Amino acid sequence: MTSAAKSTGKGSVIWIAGVVLVVLIGVVAVVAARGSNKDAKEKVDTKQTAPVTISGADAPLPALPEPGTGADPAVGLTIPTADGTSFDGEKVSIGPDGTAKVIIFAAHWCPHCQRELPLIAEHLKASPMPDDVDLLTVSTAVVKERGNYPPSSWFEEIGWTAPVLADSDTGETAAAFGLPGFPYFVAVDADGKVVARTSGEISMDQFDQLVDAARTGEVPAA
Amino acid sequence: MTTDTATLFFALLAVLAEVLVVSALVLALGARWSEPMARAWARVRAEVAPQATGLAAAVAAVCTAGSLYLSEGAHFTPCRLCMLQRFAMYPLVVLLGVAAVTGWDHIRPAAAALATVGALTSVAHLLIERYPSLESSTSCDPDNPCSLIWVERFGYVTIPAMALSGFLLILTLLAIAGPVDDPVGRSIPAQEAP
Repeated sequence: MTSAAKSTGKGSVIWIAGVVLVVLIGVVAVVAARGSNKDAKEKVDTKQTAPVTISGADAPLPALPEPGTGADPAVGLTIPTADGTSFDGEKVSIGPDGTAKVIIFAAHWCPHCQRELPLIAEHLKASPMPDDVDLLTVSTAVVKERGNYPPSSWFEEIGWTAPVLADSDTGETAAAFGLPGFPYFVAVDADGKVVARTSGEISMDQFDQLVDAARTGEVPAA
Repeated sequence: MTTDTATLFFALLAVLAEVLVVSALVLALGARWSEPMARAWARVRAEVAPQATGLAAAVAAVCTAGSLYLSEGAHFTPCRLCMLQRFAMYPLVVLLGVAAVTGWDHIRPAAAALATVGALTSVAHLLIERYPSLESSTSCDPDNPCSLIWVERFGYVTIPAMALSGFLLILTLLAIAGPVDDPVGRSIPAQEAP
């Protein structure tokens, strides 16, 4: 056998070995994924989005401006009312109902929400919400393919105890409240008027300031 | 084939690529100090080098097919950094394919440069996935942030990790293929030259 023929023969072996390896990996993937698909199907049995009804004279609130670009035009406006349900189908209503509140909008796939909400859950164990301020949550922008799905399991895993409204699949509640990004916080006084809004991760001191702003109705200093 | 199966398949391929890259690196470094390793490395180079450009083209083709499946089949929307990695990976199929078929080895340095740019972009994307604040200080763009992790297998294999594995395997194969001695290419094989 010539050296050229030898080289061609060895070359073929390398290619055949490569193809066989890729096919083997394909078989392993099919077998392994079959088991995990069964588990996933059993896990998701609650609705992750639900219809909501939005009403209110000032709805939708204007979008939150970029930081440093002027005062928030929504401050002093009455929040919309969002009537919907939780993941379990229980009624949840967010609106001007005579109680001050802080509303948190979160997306299950957002890494900033994944960092922020467990911090707040932990913080609330040591410093619970005052009796006269409610904490409400909106699970919005639900996309199954985006990971950390389903949101109902995520809220459970992080020990989230505040009521969660499952937003509609088109994100009507988020749009009505002028959401610019995730996470998004809206502090509302007892009259149902916006006191402060902010988007992005905040420290627990800033969270406490939002709670205070909602309770007192005083707009926090910028 | 379900999306779960496909992503597991791509993740396993990425792990295989990483094992091959690390093995080649260990052999190449070990060859400096150990005689048996030097012999093993010389043998690997002798066996693989003639096929290396073709194998690199095949790796680029598999990565391209995987990337197209994730966007067109699984409907994972590519972000900005995903698109930059695509700009680096897709032309490699053509460049390396042409180099492998025609023997125009002088294409290889350009392909290596493109693969390096792709690998660096993958590293940037991985950092943003792990430290989302690098992209936006504190909040997520509702549309399609680069920090969004669509797939995560074995605790670390995300889509940019798969791309990085592909780019590194291509670079390893190009390194094994050796330097390009003839700047005008080898369109005429040496033994046939007058």
